[in-house]
Amino acid sequence: MRKYLFVFVLTLKEYFTYRLNFLIWRIRVLISFLVPFFLWLTVTKQIKNFTGYEEKSIISYFFFSHLLSYFILGTRTVDITSQIQNGEIINLILKPMSFFNYYFFRDLADKILNFALSFLEIIIFFSVFSFTLPQLNFNFFLPFLSFLLIGLFLSFYLNLLISFLSFWSTEVWAPRFIFFILISILSGSFFPLDLLPKKLFSIILLTPFPYLFFLPVKMISSPETLINKIDFNFLFFMSIFYLTTLFFLSKILWQKGLKNFSFWGR
Amino acid sequence: MLKKIKRNLKIFLLFSYQSLKNTTQSRQALFLFTLAKILRFVLLFGLIFLIFSKTNNILGWSLKQVIILYLTFNFIDTFSQVLYREVYRFRPLVISGNLDLILIKPYHPFLRVLIGGVDFLDFLLLIPYFFLLLFFILKENILFLSFFWYLILVVNGLIITTAFHIFVLSFGLLTTEVDNAIMIYRDILNLGRFPVEIYQQTISFVLTFIIPIGVMITFPVKSLFNFLSFKNILFAFFIAFFLLSLSIYFWQIGLKKYQSAGG
Repeated sequence: MRKYLFVFVLTLKEYFTYRLNFLIWRIRVLISFLVPFFLWLTVTKQIKNFTGYEEKSIISYFFFSHLLSYFILGTRTVDITSQIQNGEIINLILKPMSFFNYYFFRDLADKILNFALSFLEIIIFFSVFSFTLPQLNFNFFLPFLSFLLIGLFLSFYLNLLISFLSFWSTEVWAPRFIFFILISILSGSFFPLDLLPKKLFSIILLTPFPYLFFLPVKMISSPETLINKIDFNFLFFMSIFYLTTLFFLSKILWQKGLKNFSFWGR
Repeated sequence: MLKKIKRNLKIFLLFSYQSLKNTTQSRQALFLFTLAKILRFVLLFGLIFLIFSKTNNILGWSLKQVIILYLTFNFIDTFSQVLYREVYRFRPLVISGNLDLILIKPYHPFLRVLIGGVDFLDFLLLIPYFFLLLFFILKENILFLSFFWYLILVVNGLIITTAFHIFVLSFGLLTTEVDNAIMIYRDILNLGRFPVEIYQQTISFVLTFIIPIGVMITFPVKSLFNFLSFKNILFAFFIAFFLLSLSIYFWQIGLKKYQSAGG
């Protein structure tokens, strides 16, 4: 466990070495937040009640979405692609530690740093523009915690799976781009998914995307708008189903990829 | 003069041909990237319909007007990506010192570092965006004069985006920082996907007068529907001229400071 703690600390130190890069990344994150936030704020100000969402609930949704989305989606697994392609991964698999754990702890460092800065930014943003900070809804704290953990691991395995494609193809950036677009729209960063017509929302619930951060955000911000629409058991079943499937799929792909992998010249 | 233009056009076409060859090298990626961009376009288009399913206007903007704004945004954004893709590859030239090899060539360096890598991947999308835009505009009862001002202001928007790309190149010469600068520009441009009035007054002011995304995208659409005063049209021309001149000035400063440290 100690060695993974060092991986965690070293990843944090990496970020502090390239401070400007990280700062610019955070500025970009904040700019991206402005479009959906102000768009839906304007809409709910004008319509008052948009499928159960009012000004207050939309502010609350985007506040927690900004905090949790980068905590759940933050990842360093994108580095695996280049490591496979330039053979650097050999150095890693020779080391006496689990590849999955190594990347999990790197991800964790990324997530915690992103979460801390998201928190700071959103507090400053809310103070500058005089928005009232939303309240935490603790009535569904246990489901929140469960969905948060599921989302965290789901994101980790999904990202690993995309990176493992590099074992077979040099064109991994394109599938990652598709994945990024699907996430940016179908996971709830552009709008709360339960704003959609019920049939469309039900279809999206069959995909893994809402189980990333939409559900934890809903559980902590405004669970009451969701519980009337959907069966909780179904949500738990689907999220566990995806988590188990992706876990085994990533293990299988890793094993098959390693068998397929060959590199020379190092 | 005509001879010079002809020569530059020939060089531009030569670079574009090379770029086309590069793009067609990886057909699988070409397909997937196009698919992803179409997906994003369609999903965000759907978002507009979702909003307007509950109301007939947002801050005075009707569904059709927001659609035309969204398509204008896509057209200007895609057009700039088609033409200025080479800017995204500028950093390696600076840090390796290979920029020297371009600067000593007997043609303007912008021919290579600004427009020397036409992106045919985005070009494929520019065509449907153009026809969709035309389709939605023609469906409206638009006066010829308004349409004329719309076209002029779209061109004006393209001049502003050119200025921004030259700023990024200059910034790259001065600091070797290109990737983040261009991505910040893209993020800010994305704020123009919807009317700038949706943002709070301070942000709306910044997006009109300081980083004029509103002038690039919202102004042309406003002029199409006669929402824009002549004073604002003149302001749009002034800001484009000012930014383009300033960006070229920065480029010249950048060239003076460039030390060819790489290699």
